Amino acid sequence: MINRIFPNTSPSNGLRILLDAKGYFITNTARDLSQSDFKNRILPHTDFAVADERDEAGFFSLEITGGASIHVDLLRKQINPFERLALLRKKMPRTMFQTLCRGINLFGYRPYPENVIRLTVKEFVKYVEVWRVFDFLNYVPNMIPVFEEVKKAGKYLEPAICFSTGPEHTDEYYVKKVHEIIDVTGKDIILAIKNHSGIGTPGRIFHLISAIKNVFPDLIIHYHGHNTDGNDVGRILASVKAGAKIVDAADHSMTGFFGPPAILTVIQVLEEEGYHAEGINKDAIIETSNKLKKIRPAYSQFESQFKGFDPTVHIHKLPGGAMGSSFEQAVKGNFLDKMPDILMKELPKVHIELGNFWSVTPGSQILWTTAVAHTLSGKRYENASQDLKNLMLEKYGPFPFRKPSDEIYEMVFGSNWKNILKNEAGCETCIPIDIDMERKKFEQAIGRPCDLEELVLYLQHPKDTIDFFKYEEEYGKTYILPPEIWFKKGGFAAGDIIKFEDYKGKHHQIIIGASNVREDSILTYMMIDHHPEPFVYRKEEKKEKVEKKIEFNLKEIDDLAEMGEIRAKINGVVIEIHAKENDIVNKGDLLLTIEAMKMLSNINSPINGIVKEIAVKLGNNIKQGDLLIRLKIKA
Amino acid sequence: MKNIKQFKKILIANRGEIAIRICRAAIEEGIQAVAVYETFDEETRHVHTANEAVWIGSGPRKDYLDIDRIIWAAKKSDCQAVHPGYGFLAENPELARACEKAGLIFIGPPVQVIQDLGDKTIARRLAEEAGLKIIHGSGILPKGQDGIDSAFNFTKKYGYPVMLKAVAGGGGRGIRRANSDDELLEQLPLAEKESVASFGDGRLYLEKGLIRPRHVEVQILADNYGKIVHMGARNCSIQRRHQKLVEIAPGMIRPELEKNICEAAVGYARHTGYTNAGTIEFLVDHDDQFYFLEINTRLQVEHTVTEAITGIDIVRRQIRITQGMPLDISQNDVLCRGFAIEVRINAEDPKQNFAPEIDKVVSVYQSPGGPGIRLDGMVYQGYKIPAVYDSLLVKLTVYGFTWSDTTSRLERALKNFVIVGPKTTIPFYIKIVQEKEFLSGQFDTEYIERHPELFDYRSLEREEAKIAKLLALIHHKKYNPFTE
Repeated sequence: MINRIFPNTSPSNGLRILLDAKGYFITNTARDLSQSDFKNRILPHTDFAVADERDEAGFFSLEITGGASIHVDLLRKQINPFERLALLRKKMPRTMFQTLCRGINLFGYRPYPENVIRLTVKEFVKYVEVWRVFDFLNYVPNMIPVFEEVKKAGKYLEPAICFSTGPEHTDEYYVKKVHEIIDVTGKDIILAIKNHSGIGTPGRIFHLISAIKNVFPDLIIHYHGHNTDGNDVGRILASVKAGAKIVDAADHSMTGFFGPPAILTVIQVLEEEGYHAEGINKDAIIETSNKLKKIRPAYSQFESQFKGFDPTVHIHKLPGGAMGSSFEQAVKGNFLDKMPDILMKELPKVHIELGNFWSVTPGSQILWTTAVAHTLSGKRYENASQDLKNLMLEKYGPFPFRKPSDEIYEMVFGSNWKNILKNEAGCETCIPIDIDMERKKFEQAIGRPCDLEELVLYLQHPKDTIDFFKYEEEYGKTYILPPEIWFKKGGFAAGDIIKFEDYKGKHHQIIIGASNVREDSILTYMMIDHHPEPFVYRKEEKKEKVEKKIEFNLKEIDDLAEMGEIRAKINGVVIEIHAKENDIVNKGDLLLTIEAMKMLSNINSPINGIVKEIAVKLGNNIKQGDLLIRLKIKA
Repeated sequence: MKNIKQFKKILIANRGEIAIRICRAAIEEGIQAVAVYETFDEETRHVHTANEAVWIGSGPRKDYLDIDRIIWAAKKSDCQAVHPGYGFLAENPELARACEKAGLIFIGPPVQVIQDLGDKTIARRLAEEAGLKIIHGSGILPKGQDGIDSAFNFTKKYGYPVMLKAVAGGGGRGIRRANSDDELLEQLPLAEKESVASFGDGRLYLEKGLIRPRHVEVQILADNYGKIVHMGARNCSIQRRHQKLVEIAPGMIRPELEKNICEAAVGYARHTGYTNAGTIEFLVDHDDQFYFLEINTRLQVEHTVTEAITGIDIVRRQIRITQGMPLDISQNDVLCRGFAIEVRINAEDPKQNFAPEIDKVVSVYQSPGGPGIRLDGMVYQGYKIPAVYDSLLVKLTVYGFTWSDTTSRLERALKNFVIVGPKTTIPFYIKIVQEKEFLSGQFDTEYIERHPELFDYRSLEREEAKIAKLLALIHHKKYNPFTE
């Protein structure tokens, strides 16, 4: 009999099946593969194309959402992340979906207020059965709201301990962490060993898991690793030998260098060692990869420019998910030649200096940007980013092993650092936001009522969510387009026929017609289902007028305001406009609301007057000194 | 003895859908239709629909309003009569007078009737004489401070709200509402300015405003021999800034009330010596009292709904009456059966204050069909929304046996349109036809103001057309800008 856990299997039964199984289970980490080896660009179209085969394959779960994917869905794939999951669920009724949640940072980079966290989890649990939750400082209190909501919803809670190497990273430390977690969650959990950088030898992993299993013999352990050094299969084998019941791997025809290793390789190696892959249909796994093999070339532009495994990851410890983007940044920023210095010298040095915590989001970004800044400027810890300051003020949570040295505090905060530390240090408590007010702002921006899922997206990424819904209204549900169309470069050829099935299942064909290129525009006729329609594209002005920007200081801005010329005092986004042209306003009347650094601030009329000009639109990004409103002074 | 003069040819002094509507009626009557056009309109549909066409100048607009040119065109093409349609010169007694002088027959009421009833103060006086209630008015306000004083005297006597109206106004234009002294002071100079700009006449008067009033109007037909029949009522309460948006037949009021109003309208027509087709408009207050509002001495845009529920062609009757034929129907022949709704599909963006989509080209036009659908349109594939004329594309009139048959048919028909190019009022009408108050048949002139959510609609563009837009962008930019 095939041993399988289905989406409707209750966690208590599921955990029992896992515990009783002789062999091990496999999670297909498609999301992490996309993140690590394709700069997170694998489209839903591709996941839909192999949905049948993957559903047949018998995985414990498909890791398909979470991490940065929510944001990237909205920003670069133009799909509602909830809709993506709903569609995939229809195509894959038998496989549990798994997410990666950054605890208090949810799917973003900074802490969210607790009411946002709870609402977000409540909406996503409708689609996601397995919740891997981590904190980059392994600080358990940061994960509690998510833990509670997942438990409440009756889903699989999978708290993670982030793993790294070095003298601080002892078995005792990690066992103590497991205690801390179980004290909060109870024993009915899956524990993830999150080896996001793919470091440590197989031996180290064996010892760690053995140490945990020694204290918690009935605990289900899920090993997650990356194949950056080319040896994750070795670590997976060691983890299963030590008692791990679930391991992470990915479809072999898509594997690269920094993501998970190939599922089939894992199965073959472990079979030889006497471990049976539970529930697995190998033919379906092979069939999935046969299909993906044909699709992969469409994504070639997103694969790492640098081929080959990188065993130096044991030194720089970059997480697999950040490898591709780091190299991309180096190419774009023109500092590729500095990479050996950054990766081999500065990054490991900064990492140790800042306390050897776990190089994973958002900590990995802080380490990376700090090391890059140091290397490129030649100056260390000057002009520290706000994120680094927040880290050092322990706003993300306490340092796990030790604080950075006094010298570094002084370099970052100046001579007054002790006072700053005394007054400002400590975990940031995010004030709950007024969700109803946010809803109103959002609905105003999109010009229609929203549902809770849409609101949740807005609460995570306000601007990008508004942009996405505007995009969707303009261009429709374009996730039905395959990657070769979505990423098409250089235009189509006249006569190209593009066939697709829209989201309602209706078939259409569009034939690209001839283009009429004029000086400032291009006109192309396209046959849409046999009807010709013209499409005009206005070429952008070659060189935008370089407007000489006059800079104003705050005093000047105040003076101008008294004369009716209201300029921005802070950088931000215009989220509400309360006045319209020709309105008569009195001193103190509300004119605009600006969001800056997630804070709302009102701009009130400084004088009695008449609104002559509103120079900004809803959603505009504004910089200090930008003109907002011009008033005519009323005598 | 009946004085019958059979027309061979008539001139249609109008453009667009109403010119086409009149062409159709004329041709069905066995009469040749002659169109007139300005240069801007040389390719448009009404020119093609007519049997002949006469160019009257380079326009824009001014030549359709030029009485001399209209008369010249009619004489040149050997027409015996002129039909003015609605708008342009339709209610200008000078056209009727010029026709008379030139030996042409004006298809409409007699000159004096147009002239008298076009002056609202006279029309209201006649209404009182005929025993109709009118909404209390101030009389024409004197200029300057005296006008302000007498306006305040009026509001002290009758209270707020009051409506400010242009003496020369019509078609809902030149009407403003004031709810307080402050608003009245603010609105007076604006209304005067607007009235001068629109009608060349700045004279204003005040009227007492009603509470959630319904706009009910009665279509009448009167021949030259004293026979007057009404063709039931229409409800045009759904208005935006006093411009009708949705027109319905019958009156959507209690049957006895509708009967009383229709009879009152016939009485008014008799009292004023009215002939031909006309519409008497009333406001019905929340207590079912009805007040004479004005009379339109012409064919109206919304005549189609009356035609739908009565089965009687009003335009053909207009032509026959003018030829001197006695009206071939008696009041007993007018049977109102079922419900009809007409909406004006305009190339406008409701979200931008109904701004016309000027210069946009209709690249695809597909219209609905099937039972109960009538289209009076002038749009075609390639039609460019003119800056100089109105933005009407097509009037949709749907008919159904019950109110809910009709509303669901309207929704279906609206959704069956495919119009690519300009934004249209279609999605806004779909919101109305899905709205509960509308579906229950309850509406008054404040309906649109009360339902701002009607403007919260999503685009109705076809999915494949949206995706085509993205493909065109990928093609033209040579990459997909939404992947960055």
